[in-house]
Amino acid sequence: MTDEAGADTKLVKMIVFAVGEQEYCIPILSVREIRGFEKTTALPFAPHYVCGAINLRGIILTVIDLAVYLNVEPLPDNPRRVVVIVESRNGTVCGLLVDRVIDMADVNLADIQAVAEEDSSLSGLVMIADRMIGVLRLEVVVGQLVGGMTS
Amino acid sequence: MSGDMDDILLVFFQECEEQLQELERGLSALSDGESGKETINAVFRAVHSVKGGAASFGLENLVRFAHVFESSLDGLRSGRVAPTPEIVKTFLKAMDVLSDLVAEAQGGATVDTGRIEESRVELQAIIGEGSGSAGPKEDDTVPADFAPVPVDFEPVMADFDFGDFGVEEDAPADAASLVVTFSPHAAMYDRGDDARNLLIGLSDVAVAHGGTSMVTCETAALPALGSLETEKSYLSWRVVLPAAVPEESVHTVFDWVSDVCDVTITRDGGSSPGSSSQEEPAEAQAALAEPEAEPEAPVPAAVQAAPVQAPVAASHARTPTSIAEKIMAELPPAPTPAATAPIAAGNTATRRPVEQATIRVDLHRVDDLMDLVGELVIAQAALESIGQREDGGQQEMIKRIASMKTLTRDIQDAVMAVRAQPVRSVFQRMQRVVREACSMTNKDVVLTLEGEDTEVDRTLVEKLSDPLTHMLRNAVDHGIESAETRIAAGKPPTGQILLSAGHRSGRILITIKDDGGGINRERVLATAVKRGIIAPDAVLTDDEVNNLIFAPGFSTASTVSDLSGRGVGMDVVKQAILGLGGRVTINSVEGQGTTFCLSLPLTLAVLDGMLIVAAGSTMVVPVSSVVETMMVNHKDIYMLPDGANVVSIRGACMPLIPLASELGLDGYKAGGPSEEDVILVVENESGARAALIVEDIRDQAQVVIKSIEKNYRQMSGVSAATILGDGSVSLILDVPALVANALGRIDTRPSDVRTGLAA
Repeated sequence: MTDEAGADTKLVKMIVFAVGEQEYCIPILSVREIRGFEKTTALPFAPHYVCGAINLRGIILTVIDLAVYLNVEPLPDNPRRVVVIVESRNGTVCGLLVDRVIDMADVNLADIQAVAEEDSSLSGLVMIADRMIGVLRLEVVVGQLVGGMTS
Repeated sequence: MSGDMDDILLVFFQECEEQLQELERGLSALSDGESGKETINAVFRAVHSVKGGAASFGLENLVRFAHVFESSLDGLRSGRVAPTPEIVKTFLKAMDVLSDLVAEAQGGATVDTGRIEESRVELQAIIGEGSGSAGPKEDDTVPADFAPVPVDFEPVMADFDFGDFGVEEDAPADAASLVVTFSPHAAMYDRGDDARNLLIGLSDVAVAHGGTSMVTCETAALPALGSLETEKSYLSWRVVLPAAVPEESVHTVFDWVSDVCDVTITRDGGSSPGSSSQEEPAEAQAALAEPEAEPEAPVPAAVQAAPVQAPVAASHARTPTSIAEKIMAELPPAPTPAATAPIAAGNTATRRPVEQATIRVDLHRVDDLMDLVGELVIAQAALESIGQREDGGQQEMIKRIASMKTLTRDIQDAVMAVRAQPVRSVFQRMQRVVREACSMTNKDVVLTLEGEDTEVDRTLVEKLSDPLTHMLRNAVDHGIESAETRIAAGKPPTGQILLSAGHRSGRILITIKDDGGGINRERVLATAVKRGIIAPDAVLTDDEVNNLIFAPGFSTASTVSDLSGRGVGMDVVKQAILGLGGRVTINSVEGQGTTFCLSLPLTLAVLDGMLIVAAGSTMVVPVSSVVETMMVNHKDIYMLPDGANVVSIRGACMPLIPLASELGLDGYKAGGPSEEDVILVVENESGARAALIVEDIRDQAQVVIKSIEKNYRQMSGVSAATILGDGSVSLILDVPALVANALGRIDTRPSDVRTGLAA
């Protein structure tokens, strides 16, 4: 179901992180690095879930507050918030602001239970050690950033 | 090995590029009536150099055409032909063909043989007319060089007769002696080589191996004098070399002519070991190091097919109507013989990018850069020594850093100067665009260039080519009227287009001005309504109507012509210019012409910015667009009925833009500007002004432009971003867009009209 993996590899290494109380995962190969959250520069006419822009060694990229994006309650006053820098398949780089990174897990693609919606940012749910974890569809999340021009 | 060859070829093509530019420049001067000796010589030299280079690479097509071209130019040089406008036009056309042939040799599209032939005939007509009764050269497709060939024969024969080669009639033809027979093709003489050289070479080889050569000339193929065709090669030679001579050294002698000369090498005079001409491809392989062998490889194959007729076939191949050439025309680029083949093979894909990656720079610019870098090293050492001092050297440090700042700026300028190139290369290409457009539309248009020496960043120069081509084609096709209409309107029948470039307030301004009919606004409006680009009841200013031609899918041309009218051109132009950070403005007077102004940044890398604060975050306004700064005076601010503010500055009213709220950032205090705020008067290219309210002015600095669009969508009012000294991201404001927005809002017309114009 997920298009994040090759046809023959059934096991995909995922990085698991928490946003509020909920846990999500994305393929580890799309992660560039993880860094502490720093002050961002506000962008005009940005969607409300965009925190702003940061400088990653000369590359300017936007940071998405996943809590706002996914509409979940973030942990209050969390000093451990980190930005996961991801690169989508079409080369767009952006940061995902999450509450904490938990661990890595091998996810069998066959175990992912698809969710109904076609264009949703979640491609499915998977059970890892009795925890229900959402599998994020990165292309959708990142794609909205580059999408149409604001006016 | 072939890599080296590619490098040399690459240099050759770069030189061709320069020579063609030189040619273009010279011919333009000629057409301007400047027919000084220097100019003509320069033109002649350019064609000659191309020919010379092409010949050593065996680029037959190119050589052949350049040769004819050169011959005609020679007529001009010797004063036999006067450079009338007609003739210059022919030369210009020939130049286009020549540059296409160069492109073809580079692996580009195959040039239409009909075009080459047409131009060739025209060129020959020039010297034909000019030289009047000059007989022997008129022989159609035969380049003038052919004439001397039969003359060359004489000394060879004579040499032979007099035993110049140390021939000893009684030289014993040993059982194992090496017999070399060769019959040159006419092409060999055409290339300036001579059988004499080969004979000398062979006799040298013989002498080197302690023997002598015995030469016999085979004249059997020689027809009676009456039926002798002067440009054909009839003779062949048989040379008996001593047994000690290895075959390789004989091959060496024929290395440079293996493709234009049939060579047979046999041991022992008698039983030919099947070497004959089959050996040649092999030989060509062996001789890959020399340039012709590769390109010409197919020729021996043709020779094999008809060995007896070889010389005929070779000279035959010289006429473009020959079968070989027909095949060439039919089988486009890849496996065709002659010049295109070796280049197409393997590295067409890699060659072009490589070529674009090189740059030719004046040496003194590199020297300047070198000096500055030296200074930088010294400055760095100075800082280091201060750092090691016991007392810290605070004062000294600040001083040093200040000087280092100047240095950095100088280095940056120097690097930019290295990257800067005059727009000439693009501008001159436009001459051709206009010429071609003219011949397609049957109009007579003169393109005048101004400010070709204006220097711009190299990346920009390259990217300008497409938009300019579009715009000039449009100008010829739509702008300039037909000759009849022009005469009826009291204008000279020849249209004028001016293409000029110049610097203006840190940007480069390119204008394309025609003296055509101007934009027919009614027709534009009607078309826009018809195509649903604007609402039927929309009321637009003249300027807005003009800008409609940039709307996607817009075209007033009633029929789609070869040149334009598909309704993609101007839209693409606008996108391309915007993509370069530039802007397009139109100025059109009906009946008098249209002027397009392209305003482009000088570089795509760095700009001088004023650091300001809005909504608590630092932003950058390009200094070039700031006119003045001042404190807010509440007395000067007036509120319009729709809630917008205008400010009167020394009597001039302009819209007041609270920057923070304009950008949709919160943090802007309600209740109008406060006392601490600062007004920044900004201006766009066309001189429209607006006043930005900002919270503070921090500094002025050079900032490095970083694209945000790669990772984020385009934002209105923001052109790019930069990184400040503290590592934080700062937005660079798009002043013209802000001004345009503000002016639009002050406007009284309904907003739906304007949104239609947003494109």
